[in-house]
Amino acid sequence: MSAEYSCLVVEDSPMMRQLLVFALSRVKNLRVTEADDGVDGLRKLAAGKFDIILTDINMPIMDGLKLVKRVRSDPTHKDTPIIIITTEGSDEDRQRALQLGANAYITKPIQAPQVIAKVKELLKIER
Amino acid sequence: MTDKKAKSPRRSDRPPVDLAAELKLKRDSFVHTFFRRGAEFTEELLQENERIRKSMLDLERENTTLRSQLASDKAIRDLLQKIDDLENEKRDILSHMHEAEAISTRFSNRQSQIEDELANLANLHVASWHLHSTLKLPLVVRHLKELLAQLVGARAFVLYVFDENRSDLVPVASDGMDPAKLARMKVGASESASGPAALIERAFLTGVEHIVEGALGERDMTTPLACLPLRVDGRAIGVIVIHSVLAQKERFVAVDFELFKLLGVHAAAALVAAQLFLAADGKLAGADAFLGLDAHSPTPAR
Repeated sequence: MSAEYSCLVVEDSPMMRQLLVFALSRVKNLRVTEADDGVDGLRKLAAGKFDIILTDINMPIMDGLKLVKRVRSDPTHKDTPIIIITTEGSDEDRQRALQLGANAYITKPIQAPQVIAKVKELLKIER
Repeated sequence: MTDKKAKSPRRSDRPPVDLAAELKLKRDSFVHTFFRRGAEFTEELLQENERIRKSMLDLERENTTLRSQLASDKAIRDLLQKIDDLENEKRDILSHMHEAEAISTRFSNRQSQIEDELANLANLHVASWHLHSTLKLPLVVRHLKELLAQLVGARAFVLYVFDENRSDLVPVASDGMDPAKLARMKVGASESASGPAALIERAFLTGVEHIVEGALGERDMTTPLACLPLRVDGRAIGVIVIHSVLAQKERFVAVDFELFKLLGVHAAAALVAAQLFLAADGKLAGADAFLGLDAHSPTPAR
C-alpha cells in the first residue's frame, strides 16, 4: 500500500504519541511520522512534505504554539493544516492557537473517533 | 249474371265496338295504372333503399365511433393498469429504500460503536503496554502519572503506597498538588476515620474502588473523585487518589472505568516488579528461578 497522505505527530508523551498513531492507523493511506518536541518536529518538516500536522502545546525545548508560528512562516508548509491536541481547555488558549494559524483544537483526554474525523475533514477525505 | 243475360241477350260472340273500345280503354287504363303504380312502387323502393343505405352509413359511422371509443377505453384501461403497476413498483422501491436506509443506519451505528470500542481497547493496550514496558521504578511511576493525566484527564492526583512496617499509606508521587501538604495516612488507626481519609482507607482495605459517577462539575479538592485500590494476588499495595480532573472533563466515561480496573491490577504489578527489581539491584535470577516449576508439563487448559 502506498500512502497518499503524510502526517506529522509532534507530542512529547510516548503514551499519547502511541495512542495517536493507533487512532491515525484507522485513516486509510495515511503515513504517520513521529516527533517528540517542537524542534524535532521542525527537523522532520524540513526533511519532508507533510499533508497535516498534529501537535501538543506543552512540550520541552519548543512548545506547540511556537511550532505553529514557525510552520506558518515557512512557505513550504504555510498552508498545511495543523491540529492542536492539548490539555489546555480554556477559550483563551483555543483562540490564541487558532489566531496563530492552527486549523483545529482538540482537548485531552482525546476521543480517537473525534481525532480521526477532524483529520479526514482537513484532508478532505470522504468518510 | 243471370240478370245480365236476362237484360242484354247476346246477339253475337264478338263484343260490340263500343264495348271493345271500352274494354281497351279499361285495359289501357289498368296497364297505365299498373305501370304508374309500379313506377311509384319502384320509386318508393329506391327511396327506401336510399334511406336504408343512409341508415347503414350512419350505423357504420356510429360503429366506427364506438369502435374507436372502445379502443380508447382499452388504452385508458391499459394506462390505468400501468399506473397501478408503477405505483406498486414505486411502493416496493420505497419499501426497499427504507429497508436499505434502516440497514445503513444500523450499520453506521454499529460501525461507530466498533470504532469507539476499538479506541477504548487502544487506550487500554497503550496503558498496559507502557506500564509493563520497563522495570525501572521512576519510569513506571512516570508512565502511571502520564496515564492518569493524558488518558484519564486527571489534573490533581496522588499515589499512595503501603508501608507494611508502619501500617502507613505513604504519598510517593503526585501531580497538581503541593507535595508539602501531603501526609502519611495511618491505616486502621482509628475506627472512626471520616471524610476523604475514610474513603481512601476503605478503598485500600476492601479493594473496592470509590468513583464519583455523573457530572463532576466544580468540586473542592478535599473530597476525592476516585480512590483506586492497587492489588496484586489479592494483596493491597497502595491507592491512587484522583482529586480533580481537567476542566473539559465533565464525567468519567466507560473507558475511564475500564482504565481504573486495569490500573488496579497492572499498575500494582508494574510497581511491585519495579520495586523488586530495584531491591535486587537490577539483577535477574536467570534460569535458576524456573527450576522446580514443573514448567515442562502439558498446559492444563489443553
